[in-house]
Amino acid sequence: MQRTRRDILLFMGGGAAGAMLTPAPWRLVTDAAIWSENWPGIPRPARGEITARYTNCALCPAGCAVRARCVAGQPVSLAGVAGNPLSQGALCAFGLTGHQLPYHPQRLKQGTPEEAAAAVRGAMAKCGAGESVAVLDLAPGRAASWTYRRAMAAVANGVYLAPPPPLGGAAVNLAKARTVLSLGAPLLDGWGTPGNVHAARANFRLIQAEPWESRTAALADEWLPIRPGSEAALALALKDPKTAPSAAQATGLTEKQILDLANELTANGPALVLSADDLPEALALNHALGAWGQTLVARPEVPVPDAWKKAAPERVVASVPDNSIRVLFIDESVPGSHIPWGAIEKKLVRDNPVVVAFAWTLEGYGRHAQFTLPTAVYPELTSDIPPAIDSPAATFRISVSLVAPPAGMADPSAFIAKAAGIDAGNALQERADAIHKSGRGTLFTYADGKSTPLKDIKPDAFWKSLNEGATWLGGAEEPLTRRRGDAEEIPGELPSEAPRLRVSASDTFPLLVAFTTPTPATLSSPLMSKLYQDSDLRMAPNTAALHPDTARASGITGASRAVLETQYGRCAIGVIPDESVPPGMLEVAAGPEILDICGAFTRAKVVAA
Amino acid sequence: MIAANKPNKIARYGMSIDLDRCTGCGACMVACAVENNVPPAHEGATARKGITWIRVFKVDNGEEGPARRSVFVPVLCQQCGEDTPCVHVCPQQAVEVDPATGIVGQMPERCLGCRYCMAACPYHARFFNWWDPQWPAGMEKTLNPDVAPRMRGVVEKCNFCHGRWHAAKERAAAAGKSEIEAGAYVPACVESCPTGAIRFGDLKDAASEPAVAAKDAHSFRLLEKLGTEPKIYYHSKRDWVRQVAAAPKPPNGKENARG
Repeated sequence: MQRTRRDILLFMGGGAAGAMLTPAPWRLVTDAAIWSENWPGIPRPARGEITARYTNCALCPAGCAVRARCVAGQPVSLAGVAGNPLSQGALCAFGLTGHQLPYHPQRLKQGTPEEAAAAVRGAMAKCGAGESVAVLDLAPGRAASWTYRRAMAAVANGVYLAPPPPLGGAAVNLAKARTVLSLGAPLLDGWGTPGNVHAARANFRLIQAEPWESRTAALADEWLPIRPGSEAALALALKDPKTAPSAAQATGLTEKQILDLANELTANGPALVLSADDLPEALALNHALGAWGQTLVARPEVPVPDAWKKAAPERVVASVPDNSIRVLFIDESVPGSHIPWGAIEKKLVRDNPVVVAFAWTLEGYGRHAQFTLPTAVYPELTSDIPPAIDSPAATFRISVSLVAPPAGMADPSAFIAKAAGIDAGNALQERADAIHKSGRGTLFTYADGKSTPLKDIKPDAFWKSLNEGATWLGGAEEPLTRRRGDAEEIPGELPSEAPRLRVSASDTFPLLVAFTTPTPATLSSPLMSKLYQDSDLRMAPNTAALHPDTARASGITGASRAVLETQYGRCAIGVIPDESVPPGMLEVAAGPEILDICGAFTRAKVVAA
Repeated sequence: MIAANKPNKIARYGMSIDLDRCTGCGACMVACAVENNVPPAHEGATARKGITWIRVFKVDNGEEGPARRSVFVPVLCQQCGEDTPCVHVCPQQAVEVDPATGIVGQMPERCLGCRYCMAACPYHARFFNWWDPQWPAGMEKTLNPDVAPRMRGVVEKCNFCHGRWHAAKERAAAAGKSEIEAGAYVPACVESCPTGAIRFGDLKDAASEPAVAAKDAHSFRLLEKLGTEPKIYYHSKRDWVRQVAAAPKPPNGKENARG
């Protein structure tokens, strides 16, 4: 048989076609996939000894206990600490990704501390009569806060400013509540310590009065959809049923609903009334319901060294005269409340005020300050965390540094103390010593889950435990050294001639702003984009949802860009039409820009971009 | 050392999710991403192209105004026990049901990226890597060493944190046990849920919480009529929630109020 060139070509073609029916090409593809799986573009996780370290989350005032899984000393995941009496083993989405914050693309790494110090010295020397040097502390109650207060006491015209304490400084004892009326408070969506709230949830009936079906309203035992801005009218009517008819008109509820609710609060006590923005009417209703001393209590102060007690008093920004602050330090190294920049700016002197912000990103007040000095961020920083709003006991816990901060980070306490000419010392350890000296309370250690009476622990061991993850819980027998928010300070009677709307209706700003995220003041880990970009669970920062009818009235069609305007200014936002938002409301996921133009409760308008 | 004479127990891991406790906080979603080295959303990612091994949907009863009621429903791979659709369609045998655990595993090394499995999955619980995984500079230091990042062009999905199962198995072996004790192995979403809405355990263990939940009259499974025997049991005492789950499509025709 003679083989031709044609036969050879046919054989080769047939062989190639036949090979396609064997596992060979698939094997080739598989091997290529395995190879490409390991190509240099894909990061390789680091290896090393796996250990557990403990700290407390510093991303919000709850200060939940944290167990960090570390590989070669680097935290790779965070979890709650089971059995912790405060946080009950829970961590929120922000807290679970906190270990990624040091690598945030917006991280601030460089500053000019020498230039800032020189400018501060010059401005302090120039400070005239009626002018002041001020510290704005967004997270008061820390050891660092006491350093600021001591520093401002040492300066002739020093002022220590802090946001007004929620509930007048009182603490909530949820464990005692049997009925909770929430006037728009995000009780199940980040309010207080999430683990503590969820642990107490089974024991109280939750009634949520709120215009829109928030996360809390969705899970409440009863949701009362009231008209936007009518919370105060409802609270007033519950305290004084004579106003029920006018409250019914304002809220959209029936008189019977209001009277039934009033009866339930009285009959199924102890009751607790919470509001989203500390309405005085809600505080007065609590007083009338006998909540003070039951579900609202005066928490004992965490002991401080005697030498610290000559400190500047705590004041709110509104109490300072306009155009009077020549030097302003703003500490936002630890997230806290946000005060609109417009409210701060008008307090500054007109000619060349010096504003120094201590921050880990330029997204906050750093946008407005002459100097922004970079600071460590959780979990790099070491700072104590003041007691949470839902902790009736005094607490002391430290957010311990789990990773070393980069070089060149500023220490706000040391900087301000130096400017004021005092020695900051080791304020954390001094305060721990003062607590130990009191001999009261117990220490809960995270690694072994044990509670030990403080009197059985030596000072060095106490300090060591605090730095390895522990919480000091003050006992109830502690003397009340400070009675902020006590019943005497709460108005028992309020003018009841007419129910008032929370914010007056306005033709200029027809929409009522409601924030969806309770602690939006900081940037969160890029991984939080899973919740608002890779899914629709939450809205992205600087985005607002509004009813399609409201959107149409504002000239907006479909999801688009728009401009949000309030009395403080305007900023660009993304807009999503959503039928679940009642007409007349704007559900806002705040970012730094929105926070700057919105107060605690704000009316706004939206116009098409 | 594993006891030689004791045969390994065959488990059938499952989950129960109490919808009356889920607040839609998203802790499970980010904890899952941290545990399984899922990168932050790519610049071009959307809700359709994003990777979320567990995703919480907001579902409502279709009413307007004060009558509207919503529920948050975490949806992950339902770990189908019978006729697992993704296994049947995979041309690469990249999807397998582990006989020792009942977990439906995905092997990205074998995956061709044909996405047949995504089309076959009735729960939309599979995700395609449209981009190479990228983390902001420095953040790769926080990656979990127990899980390899996946490349562009492959499909991935929930595997009940299989890395944790291996770790638990190793711990058990180190302690001289052949079986993992109840509670020694839990996925990241279960550990992170602040309300305790998600529970995990062996469905063969009658005392485990999912096994107990499976028998509850208020429990249901998604698309049960397909006969795929999912191992995720949902629970709600609210009638309308169970009715919505049984309905052929959501009342408003959308999976998500903002979808």
